Amino acid sequence: MNRASSSGLYGAIQRRRNRGLVGLYLVVAAFLVLYAVLFPGILTIGGFSKFTQNWFPLALVTMAQALLMLNGGITLAIGPLVSLGAVIAATTMGSAFGVPGGILAVVAVGLGIGAVTGAIVALLRLPAIIVTLAGSFIITGVALILLPRPGGFVPGWLSTLLAGHTPVAFLLLLVILGLWKIFLATPLGLAIYAAGDNPVGAFRSGVPIERVKIVSFALSGVLAALAGLFVAAQTGSGDPIIGAPFTLNSIAAAVLGGVGFLGGKGTMRGAVCGSLLLSVMINVMFFLGFPPVAQYVAQGLIIVGAVAVPAHLALWRAAR
Amino acid sequence: MMRAKAILRNPPLLTFLLVALVWLIAGLSLRGFGAYGHLRYLLELAAVIGIAAAGQTLVVLMGGIDLSVGAVITVTAILLPLLSPAWDPTGLVGVALVLAIAVGIGLLNGAGATFLQVPPIIMTLAMATFLQGMLVLVAGGSAVTVQNPAVLLLGQSRPLGVPAGVVLWILVSACMLLLIHRMPIGARFLALGANPLAARLSGVSTTRNTLILYALSGFFAGLAGLLLLGMNRQGYVGIGDPYLLTSIAAVVLGGTSILGGRGTYAGTIPGAILLVTTTALITVVNASPGWRSIMFGSLILALLMISGREARR
Repeated sequence: MNRASSSGLYGAIQRRRNRGLVGLYLVVAAFLVLYAVLFPGILTIGGFSKFTQNWFPLALVTMAQALLMLNGGITLAIGPLVSLGAVIAATTMGSAFGVPGGILAVVAVGLGIGAVTGAIVALLRLPAIIVTLAGSFIITGVALILLPRPGGFVPGWLSTLLAGHTPVAFLLLLVILGLWKIFLATPLGLAIYAAGDNPVGAFRSGVPIERVKIVSFALSGVLAALAGLFVAAQTGSGDPIIGAPFTLNSIAAAVLGGVGFLGGKGTMRGAVCGSLLLSVMINVMFFLGFPPVAQYVAQGLIIVGAVAVPAHLALWRAAR
Repeated sequence: MMRAKAILRNPPLLTFLLVALVWLIAGLSLRGFGAYGHLRYLLELAAVIGIAAAGQTLVVLMGGIDLSVGAVITVTAILLPLLSPAWDPTGLVGVALVLAIAVGIGLLNGAGATFLQVPPIIMTLAMATFLQGMLVLVAGGSAVTVQNPAVLLLGQSRPLGVPAGVVLWILVSACMLLLIHRMPIGARFLALGANPLAARLSGVSTTRNTLILYALSGFFAGLAGLLLLGMNRQGYVGIGDPYLLTSIAAVVLGGTSILGGRGTYAGTIPGAILLVTTTALITVVNASPGWRSIMFGSLILALLMISGREARR
């Protein structure tokens, strides 16, 4: 009995979370079909691999951003963290550490910076948007000191493995999504939603709000730094400012995917879908021959539309 | 003791004291820092940030955020030389046209936030992206030199030894303080920021005030763009980019809550001066770009810990 009612509750919550997503799935599917018509090469293994490799870093940073937004936070330090991840990968992998040491270093730095940021936000009660803004300057500075100009070295076999003609990046994304699903089933994962939706209620129910916030910042840091590692493998070198566009794109993709700013609203699958939409959109505009600047114009319009239409549909549904 | 506590609870005053302290120490320890010319120059730089942050202060007070400030500054700085008609010797027509465009952009932001129900952060972000593309389409990528006499006067002249930009900033500050603390509309902004639902139920129109708010933010960003153009004599794509983050930082350093409903422009004024001063100090130290960036970030973080703490939830 107890079990049935709790699964009923679960179903209701999932239905509520999925409500806005059907439209998003349809839009993404439409764009994918358009893309396949314009560029049939995507249906081959090689084309699919290249496409997913363009999408992969955006998907990772969107997850990093959505994780924090679900918890009621936000970060403006995504881009610099991607750059720092790329720089660390490119400087350590050529040295005595080798590839495993490099990967470990990237993960450790992402985890450490994320945890420190989270501790400052949670324990000193400073607004996340400003702390991460200040943090973005510091992280950019560290990246510039480690590698003042693009360079460094990433072993060729790693580049071929991650960004070659095989869909390894896509498989990695599936693995990461699977890990997220498992993490959500743990008390800590559930607490991220709970603390974002209703911090006071969650605190009174015994959720360690501060610890949850620090953990979410740390995980977000790891995801962003790993995106940097992938970008380094893709380009074969490190670049201290390569991550800059990712900050705003990660926010845009998460919001496209229906993740709210106030915490607890939205789903990770929606956010990943949003990043796919943004990535496909940019690719389609490229193949339609839009000049790069017109892409900015179209991107601005589409983002507003994608947020405004579901909001109005919800209002209309509520009024009926 | 009581007085010390009152000062600690008053963020604008605290920020002012911090500025005074930094200026005093830097003036005594660095040669040339305390010279009248240098301090005047710092104030002139702070005026651009201060005016851009005026609109940002209002938006943040109402619980929103305006990420299009930098883009609007760039738009005005690039469009002014293109839109100033040659038959107008004063240049005021061009100024009016460009300010009207800035207000129009602000109104569009406001319309998106109210009628389309798009969160302000996304609406203004999308607007910034949109403007970035439109600018290059309209103006091409090259820098434009300003000939407009009114703007040059604003950026270059010094009536009684005080830069015109600083005079403009003083005027803007007076208007802002009156608007926030002495006019009904300021009270409505604060009410909407503190508790939107209660404000709406008390008969405060969200739609109207949001539109006015973002129009004002666009106007002040446009004004800052004109001043920057006058000081710089040249407009180019990206000229306004640094002012987006500094305008937000100035607001927060001044003790205004990023959550809305609490704060004052009186804090933003020293906040802007503090930002310019720290940047100047970092330049003096003559470090590599990486170290400079680290110092700037750490300073903002440190200042934030002193002045920008949020109340316990």
